[in-house]
Amino acid sequence: MKLFTSFLLLAFSATCLQAQAPGPAAPKKKRVLTAPAAAAQPVVQNSSLVKVNATSQAYNLHLPWQKESPSGRRGLGVVLAGNRVLVTAQMAADATYLELELPESGQKIPAKVVAVDYEANLALLESPPSDKQKAFFAGLKPMSIDASARIGDAVSILQTGRVGELIESPLNISKVLSRRYIVEGSGFLVYEATGIIRSEANSFTLPVVKGGKLAGLLLSYDSKNQVTTILPAPIIEHFLKDVADGSYEGFPGLGMELQATQDEQFREFLGLKPNEPGVLISAVVKGASAEQAGMKKGDILVSINGFTIDSRGDYKDPQYGALSAGHLVRGRAYVGDKVEIKVIREGKEVTLNGTLTRKKPEDHLVLPYRFDQGPRYVLMGGLLFQELSRPYLDAFGEEQRSGAILRLARIATHPEKYEEAGRRKLVFLSLVLPTPGAQGYDKLGGQVVNKVNGKVINDLNDLAEAFKSAKETWHLIELDDFPHLLHLDTFGAERDNMRLLDGAYRIGSLKRLE
Amino acid sequence: MNIRPLLTLLALAVLPPVMAQPVPETLLASQAIDLSSGAWDGVVNIDVSVLVPDYREPWNAGQPSGGSGTGFLIGKNRFLTNAHVVSNATRILIRTSNDPEPHPAKIVHIAHDCDLALIEAEDPKHFEKLKPLDFGGIPQLNTEVIAVGYPIGGDRISVTRGVVSRIDFRPYSHTSVDSHLAIQVDAAINPGNSGGPVLQAGKVVGVAFQGFSGRVAQNVGYMIPMPVIKRFLKDIEDGRYDHYVDLAASDFPIENPAQAKALGTNGGGVGVMVADVEPAGSVGEILKIGDVILGIDDNPVLNNGLVRYEGELVDMNEIVERKFAGDKIKLEFMREGKKQEVTVTLKRFDPYVRLGATYNQRPRYVVFAGLVFQPMDRNLMDAHQIRDRTVSYVFDNFLTNKLYVERPEPVVLTSVLPDEVNTWLTPYAHSIVDEINGVKIKSLKDVQTALSKKDQAFIEIRLLEKSRPLVLKREIAEAAHPRIMQTYNILGDSFVGEE
Repeated sequence: MKLFTSFLLLAFSATCLQAQAPGPAAPKKKRVLTAPAAAAQPVVQNSSLVKVNATSQAYNLHLPWQKESPSGRRGLGVVLAGNRVLVTAQMAADATYLELELPESGQKIPAKVVAVDYEANLALLESPPSDKQKAFFAGLKPMSIDASARIGDAVSILQTGRVGELIESPLNISKVLSRRYIVEGSGFLVYEATGIIRSEANSFTLPVVKGGKLAGLLLSYDSKNQVTTILPAPIIEHFLKDVADGSYEGFPGLGMELQATQDEQFREFLGLKPNEPGVLISAVVKGASAEQAGMKKGDILVSINGFTIDSRGDYKDPQYGALSAGHLVRGRAYVGDKVEIKVIREGKEVTLNGTLTRKKPEDHLVLPYRFDQGPRYVLMGGLLFQELSRPYLDAFGEEQRSGAILRLARIATHPEKYEEAGRRKLVFLSLVLPTPGAQGYDKLGGQVVNKVNGKVINDLNDLAEAFKSAKETWHLIELDDFPHLLHLDTFGAERDNMRLLDGAYRIGSLKRLE
Repeated sequence: MNIRPLLTLLALAVLPPVMAQPVPETLLASQAIDLSSGAWDGVVNIDVSVLVPDYREPWNAGQPSGGSGTGFLIGKNRFLTNAHVVSNATRILIRTSNDPEPHPAKIVHIAHDCDLALIEAEDPKHFEKLKPLDFGGIPQLNTEVIAVGYPIGGDRISVTRGVVSRIDFRPYSHTSVDSHLAIQVDAAINPGNSGGPVLQAGKVVGVAFQGFSGRVAQNVGYMIPMPVIKRFLKDIEDGRYDHYVDLAASDFPIENPAQAKALGTNGGGVGVMVADVEPAGSVGEILKIGDVILGIDDNPVLNNGLVRYEGELVDMNEIVERKFAGDKIKLEFMREGKKQEVTVTLKRFDPYVRLGATYNQRPRYVVFAGLVFQPMDRNLMDAHQIRDRTVSYVFDNFLTNKLYVERPEPVVLTSVLPDEVNTWLTPYAHSIVDEINGVKIKSLKDVQTALSKKDQAFIEIRLLEKSRPLVLKREIAEAAHPRIMQTYNILGDSFVGEE
């Protein structure tokens, strides 16, 4: 069994942030067996690491009743207190089967996800209590976390070899910055380190340690420039603390857009004196913490929780130096914490007090990401309706984006107009299956639905409801784009629905609204 | 998956009159041509010096270059050629096959939308004795034609032979946004043949104008057929070219039984649904989405938008295409089950012109404190290779999302010529200007007007979908302006168009 795993190609690189499919299996290397040396080298083990094998299977975004073919991922998890294992969320995304494996003996047990945060790219795994589980964890001991790493510190990436031997690659932290991890959204704290990592069998999650304690998890490795990005311990601690209290809230955000104010003429226009701190707030996200605290577009942000924000939008972090203001909230505070923001408004300093919240993915007009669940859809007489999501748009790739997809992609980046109109989600016609009732419509796709049978459509539930109330013997579907009007025979659509179920398109259900 | 039917607005064809002319057998056989007879002296070589406008540095003259094409005499000192042969010309010289003397000529009419131009010699004397070529009709498939002209490969007149391969509606590449009837022939048509006559039985049946490069397809050349030529010649009879006209509405076939029932056409196969209407077009105030067009000039319109016209099934827009600006057309349509009849006065639909290549125009611009403003059009998009998402979106959806209504001439900040005064603004090049000091920018002229107002200490330029305004302190900007003009060798700080 061990032999087999060691042939999987190490798939981390700058691109592995997005690409979740593991690389192709490496060609089988010829092993040259050399005569054993006079005295056998003692094998160094680490008793806090377990191999994690995941099988993942995502839903098909274009034919949402189907799933894609399953694929495997391998990583190295970190054993924490309570026999829980920490991995990146990428490891657990869309998982159909997860198992833990002891690096040396190859013993395996199934596991499940206890908590996952795709924005923070962290997941906690657990194996249900049993005798087997007890035996599995008997020889393992939890690793403690060290959040003290700074620029200049030496850390190392841990990997295990074929027989579980420990392979350490030393790195040096050269930079600390704020950047998004694997999904759209605000930035998180990231360490950037330099050094060479050798390719080994595990890929998706690799621990980074400092003096035997967990300093972070590998995010990406750019082999050309030998630059590694690391998901740092402070974010891991934040995640674990949030999980520990029983209800997971996630990382808070202020929900605002900042503009640097280094340009002297711009400063004068804004009424800022030459050496004054502060950045311009150019947008405030509807419903997010900043708006709730009373922040307005056009305010000059000067401080958050007593930390002065400079003209670049950075504050002085005691541990890392200049760092994006976003980390003050995202990394250093929790949902429900109080926040004190000072702004300059019409020349006067105003103190805003608020409570930090998190805008959940489902609160966005266009869903930023979705894992583990199938896309919502309604199929009516061959017309497939879906709610616009980032993953749907991303599935097209830049080159394929033309016409309707380009227009939908633009709505995703500028949703304000639709949000103001009260839309919760953007329902669009994504595909037309060739049913008799949909005759003449089969080349359509990509049009946003405004109304069905005279009822305004603000999400898919509205649509499913509206199809129940045809005024005539046909459904009237109003689109925001060419050809604007579609009519569907009510009786014909029901007949087509019946034929579609378990028909040639292997459709098991006409809708998914959960 | 997700194919959106293209708007059919730009697809306007003149219907080919079906004229089956029996061709005498003798004329199909190869005939030797005696050039000294002067029979073809009416086919002339056109040598052109051109100045290609520079849309990147619009204050510069542009790149001088040259080209050569063919033209032919169609009347007293009237030579027909392609618009692309004489586009952007600074000097035009005509030479005949038997006389090396160059004769200066000038453009009388140029129609970029159908790639035709009429030129005349400045001194008509030399051509007085030449016999103009006669026009024929539409040649039939698989009949022989010859292309005469001055293509690459030599200096003297050339003849190539082939058959008519196909008669179809094709995009005309000169503007890239117009489509008309075109005839495909397998006679070799090479660079330099452009503007030359394609003859059958001694009569002109077309003007050679475009082809594919040998890497794409072999023996595919196209000529502009007689209906398009005749329309051009008729249009200019009043001394002015008025362009093609358009309904500027798109239709959607009524194939769905429920749709037919709902719209009240009762499945009789007559009537096409109006799926979009351009507010600035001929029927902008008349038709609505969901109307059903039943007839056009007394021709019943079928459920897929075709009409039977002179024995052939053709797109209903082809009836419109034969008309001229100001002509009337009768439309019969149904709204909410009631039949109505209207007479529509046809006009050109202007906003689409911006999407195609334009010629013979000096690029328009305004420069202020190193900020270069230019109106958005295809020439500009091509020259600056703009990839900005907002600019691309506005260009691509200028018609489809009717953006021209709010902003008839979007203005792009195309570049920032670096200087101390604008050093923080350089990342904002390739943006659309939304407002200047609170005034909405709908044309380049608006930029000039807004910048020249001196009532405020700051100039605040808001860009479309960019998160911060560009701010210049007027005093500093005005002081920097002459310095930047001099440094970057800009003679005039604006050209907003001929008054």
